Amino acid sequence: MTYEPPVTDYDYIVENCTCAFCGCNCDDLDFLVKNGHVVAVRHACRLGASKVMEDLDQRIMVPMVRNEEGVLTEVSWDEALDTAAKYIAESIRPVFYGWSETSTECMKEGLELGEYIGAVLDNQATICHGPSLQAMQNAGYPIQTLGEVKNRADVIVYSGSNAMNSHPRHLARWAAFPRGYFRQRGRFDRTVITMDPKFSDTAKCSDMWVGFEQNGDYGFYNAIRAVIKGKKLQSESVSGIPAEDIYEIVETMKNAEFGTLFFGLGLTHTLGKQRNIDIAIKMIQDLNAMSKWGLTPMRGHFNVNGFNIFMAFETGWAFGVDFCRGYGRYMLGETNTIDLLVREEPDCFLVIAADPGAHFPNGANQHLANIPVIQIDIHWGPSTELADVVLPGSFISVECGGTSYRMDGVPIWMKKAIDKPETCRDDEWIVREIKERVFKLREEPNVAPKYVPNPGLGLLEKGD
Amino acid sequence: MKIITFNQKKTSKIALEFDEIVPNTVMDWTKENWDAYQVPIGNSRFPITDFFDIEIEGEADSPSQVKMVLNGDYGRVKYIGFRMTDGEIEVNSNADLHAGAEMSGGLVTVHGNVEAHAGREMSGGKLEIMGNTKEFTGASYIGEWRGMTGGEIIVHGNAGKQCGECLTGGKIHVLGDCDILAGIHMTKGTIEIDGNVNRWPGGQMKNGNIIIHGKVGRLLEGFVEQDIVTDPEVDGVTYPGRYIEYKGDIALNGKGTLLIDAEKNRDRLSTWIEEDDEYNAIRVYRNQ
Amino acid sequence: MEYVLKNGLVYDPANEINGEKMDIFVKDGKIVESLPDDVKVIDVTDKVVMPAGVDPHAHVAGPKLVVGRLYRPEDSRRGVSQKTKVERAEAGFSIPCCPTTGYRYSRMGYGTVCEAAMPAMEAKHTHEEIATIRNIDVNPLTLFGNNWFVMEYARENRIEDLAAYIAAFLRISKGYGVKIVNPCGSEAWGWGKNVHGYDDKAPYFDVTSRQVVLALAKANEMLGLPHSIHIHPNDLGHPGNYPTTIDTLDSIKEITKSTKKAAKTRNQTVHTTHLQFHSYGGNSWKDADSAADKVAKFVNKTDYMTCDIGQVTFDETTTMTADAPMEYDLFKISGLKWANKDIECETAAGIIPCIYSPKTPVATLQWAIGLELFLLIDDPWKVCLTTDHPNAGPFIRYPRIISWLMSAPRRMEMIENGEVHKWSHKRTGLAGLEREYDFYDIATITRAAPAKVHGFTDRGALTPGYNADIAVYGLNPNDFDPSRNPEEVERAFSWANLTIKDGQILCKDGDLVATKKPHDIWCDVKGWEEEEARICNEIMPFFTQYYSIKWETYQVYDHYLSDPIAVQALAK
Repeated sequence: MTYEPPVTDYDYIVENCTCAFCGCNCDDLDFLVKNGHVVAVRHACRLGASKVMEDLDQRIMVPMVRNEEGVLTEVSWDEALDTAAKYIAESIRPVFYGWSETSTECMKEGLELGEYIGAVLDNQATICHGPSLQAMQNAGYPIQTLGEVKNRADVIVYSGSNAMNSHPRHLARWAAFPRGYFRQRGRFDRTVITMDPKFSDTAKCSDMWVGFEQNGDYGFYNAIRAVIKGKKLQSESVSGIPAEDIYEIVETMKNAEFGTLFFGLGLTHTLGKQRNIDIAIKMIQDLNAMSKWGLTPMRGHFNVNGFNIFMAFETGWAFGVDFCRGYGRYMLGETNTIDLLVREEPDCFLVIAADPGAHFPNGANQHLANIPVIQIDIHWGPSTELADVVLPGSFISVECGGTSYRMDGVPIWMKKAIDKPETCRDDEWIVREIKERVFKLREEPNVAPKYVPNPGLGLLEKGD
Repeated sequence: MKIITFNQKKTSKIALEFDEIVPNTVMDWTKENWDAYQVPIGNSRFPITDFFDIEIEGEADSPSQVKMVLNGDYGRVKYIGFRMTDGEIEVNSNADLHAGAEMSGGLVTVHGNVEAHAGREMSGGKLEIMGNTKEFTGASYIGEWRGMTGGEIIVHGNAGKQCGECLTGGKIHVLGDCDILAGIHMTKGTIEIDGNVNRWPGGQMKNGNIIIHGKVGRLLEGFVEQDIVTDPEVDGVTYPGRYIEYKGDIALNGKGTLLIDAEKNRDRLSTWIEEDDEYNAIRVYRNQ
Repeated sequence: MEYVLKNGLVYDPANEINGEKMDIFVKDGKIVESLPDDVKVIDVTDKVVMPAGVDPHAHVAGPKLVVGRLYRPEDSRRGVSQKTKVERAEAGFSIPCCPTTGYRYSRMGYGTVCEAAMPAMEAKHTHEEIATIRNIDVNPLTLFGNNWFVMEYARENRIEDLAAYIAAFLRISKGYGVKIVNPCGSEAWGWGKNVHGYDDKAPYFDVTSRQVVLALAKANEMLGLPHSIHIHPNDLGHPGNYPTTIDTLDSIKEITKSTKKAAKTRNQTVHTTHLQFHSYGGNSWKDADSAADKVAKFVNKTDYMTCDIGQVTFDETTTMTADAPMEYDLFKISGLKWANKDIECETAAGIIPCIYSPKTPVATLQWAIGLELFLLIDDPWKVCLTTDHPNAGPFIRYPRIISWLMSAPRRMEMIENGEVHKWSHKRTGLAGLEREYDFYDIATITRAAPAKVHGFTDRGALTPGYNADIAVYGLNPNDFDPSRNPEEVERAFSWANLTIKDGQILCKDGDLVATKKPHDIWCDVKGWEEEEARICNEIMPFFTQYYSIKWETYQVYDHYLSDPIAVQALAK
């Protein structure tokens, strides 16, 4: 890294802004603003700073619709919104995907539209921490806020997560280095263990690296659980880790005063999928009998957890909720975006604040090429190439305020710092406009004539 | 006996949902009822007669006398036999997700492959699949710790991952191979697998029985070898041959029984052999 | 909008109206003395008319609710129904999603619900959820019992500083009152421990729960808040815990009630919640029995306390409380999935699915103790109806509890025909209790008393000038014997004939006909602004160092509140 002199040429500073990159949602950023643009960011990591400082080269500035020759052409907002609304109103299996990089205020509008038309609402959890959510639905969810980790934790475990690269300030702000109330010496008061097949950057600054073999997660945690229960291991090594090392790890974990497990996609996307997390959660529960332990999934986008929380309190399920029958359904492998796309079911796809073109498997993208895709985003990306309607949004936490939820579920109000480009609109406004236009175009499908109590509630009949 | 025959006229890429039409609900339906019925597809409903010619023969006094015969391609028809209590459904093709889910009685036969979640949370009756099926056969709804509680599932082909998840009763018999984690979290009931098993059968099982007649990939640390047993008897059924008996999963003080064929797993009888590419060597191909 | 509810049989305990046939006049969302003859008439002849229900303690919105919903999709699936022209799709049984919660309360004729535990750090989240609920008003109580600052002030007995802190944090979190959950115990849970008894100390902080409770009670009265301290004592759910309960309540006798205006409505200086869980005798579950008689005797002789019961209803539900160590104990017994949520410097919460089966001894004992408390506490003004939703059962079971309270034969039937386990009469005195509640008593424990306990001056009664929050039930008490028709009672109270909120008819014959936004009720302390500013300055270095978020992002801004009602407490 070369030396860069500090930026001194700015008009004013906006303090306490929130970073809209990873699940850390650092809310201590200072934006240096000149001529209405953020020219420098203080306190942020490289990832956050480069996202916040506007990259106008790739910015989508005007609404566009793909014309008959297949070329995206600039149109008026009215025309673009009408086209988008028409696609949605005519669809019978619409999917609204994304939401993780926008505010809960915008999700609210999207949910209203989704419930009205009978869409599937899904977010990036379906391709990242979905298995974590499934596992916690099976096993439980002992979590704590990150301040607890900072103030109390003396043993930190990163499993399948390379926080140094993916959440660069995570170790510095909460997990390893900070001086907490009961950990006044910071890093010296903590033991950091990294469990990862790869000798990652996080492993490099850990006290212990457990390099179990790929796909060996489930077997490894099973062995740890057996040892916690006081059992003797039968094999000399499990998943490539010698038995004596496992005893040592368990001893460290049992003797922790307060331990925390952070796990990432390395755990959710190997062979056992959700069962790796499942057994890790069970391990944490076992450890609580003799010590105090918690865990936190290392969520990726800054509001991916927000969508899950938002959907849970609005509808009862976290992600992949299907409203096509007029009530919510949540079924793994049936109501998730990738499954639906691979089965070639959706006939309209709205993507907001996400880039399926870059992240989805080829089979899914192939179907996206065949159906109308409406994109609401701030940057040009592979999805724009698939999109039939492109609506330029605005940048939450920089150009527009909104609420987001950190990886540990702490809500954060992300304030607005500068004005958005004149031709762009707020995400919330765009979705609301589409919603209102759809309301006019199509009568609400699948409405029951009157409320019929579910027999599952065990209520007495209403009578007359 | 009332036989309702569906002959397919047209298919739909967006799946049809058959949860409202099972023998116990359509028992009294006449031609007029069928003509008026609209089947859910996505967020809309369309007349079922657009997709099927429906013939009705005979009379029925109770659901047990109703048989639905489905001819054509049902690879995109979900929820066949959902919550059925009695009667019979015969599918002469593949079937989509949730075939036989939550059924409490009757018989569903599928003469083809079935997608995932077949027989989910069954409490009675019988589901017979002549082809292969995918993940979560006889499993529980996500989050639910009480899965299939009764009845029987027979899969003549292979089953996917996590077959019999959270099993709390009943029996699953897979004549082909199984992928990883068969019988995970199970607390009761029996899973019998005639073919090979990929890895980790019985992960975190509390109780119940898993019998594997084929070769088993990696086993979990939580399973402790007990003995070699000859002609073991499980739930009143005798399984001829010699089996290695394991108890587990001790990682949660479980008391489940895992019986694996001693002949085919001879390598396990000596000291443990760690084979690096064991997983690849016996990988189960269940792609249809 | 003006109309008159004509010829109803009115039960309005706050105005001592017991089943009188009279008309209720509504104008512009308020109840008025009279209206001209030509206004619209809604005929409710010979039907029961009550103020809309007030739930003094439930968990309906907030971070732990959402953890529950996130990790129990199978519970969400149990209460699913299709959307209608008025309602959105419903989901959930024990922890229904927010809109569903409002609809179901509204169908039962309820108008106001207290969300009993809101951590200040996640108050924004709680208010976002409240804004999603429909048809009911919500007043959230902020958690103070395990707050690090509070424990410091309590140890050093700095009551004025504590009062300023409470005033400031009620404003910052937009809370209505002071909630204390397992004081010092949830902090001990930060190290995987718990406190046992009222005089146990929190590790490190060197402060007992007695000090914390008394300090908070004094500060609460110093400010003269509309609601008293709202306490969930230590040792919840442990056999032999009743001495702790009585110790806790007895210690409050030294507190003098505030004479300030906002505090005038209430009589009590302490409200104890889910008393049922705190009235166990014995030493372990093997020899546990009911201590309801002892606790009720204590309640009967004191005049500075009120309580709600937390009645067990025999359902599969979800228990969730800020008493996190207790939830881990439950997990060790049941082995079902355990969720936990620790919140830095403030509180913790535990969540676990729980099956109260009438066939199990413990659940039956709890059921019987709850009913005993209802029947042994003489003054219905001191006791409120709750299930501590969703801990002892979902709130949709209130009508069933009402039917048990109104019918001694029904209770005996359950005991005699083996519907419940024999512990219900072997280890409690329930079988010997003949008392039956009448409609007036029911109106007291579900409306008048909770409203008074919370210090509301705009609801819980049909006084002219009050909000027109009214419920009408299809029963005619003059030719109907609730004692012999428990099913009919349950049906009538489950499906209100009319639910009126702020003058607007929301529910007709058990069907919702309209929905409306909730009011978010919070307590705005006036007159302590300088002290508030001073205390915020004082805590700032600590806050900046040890919290994980910035002060600026910590606060709840006004736009999070849905139609707020700021109840003013003039503290000076």
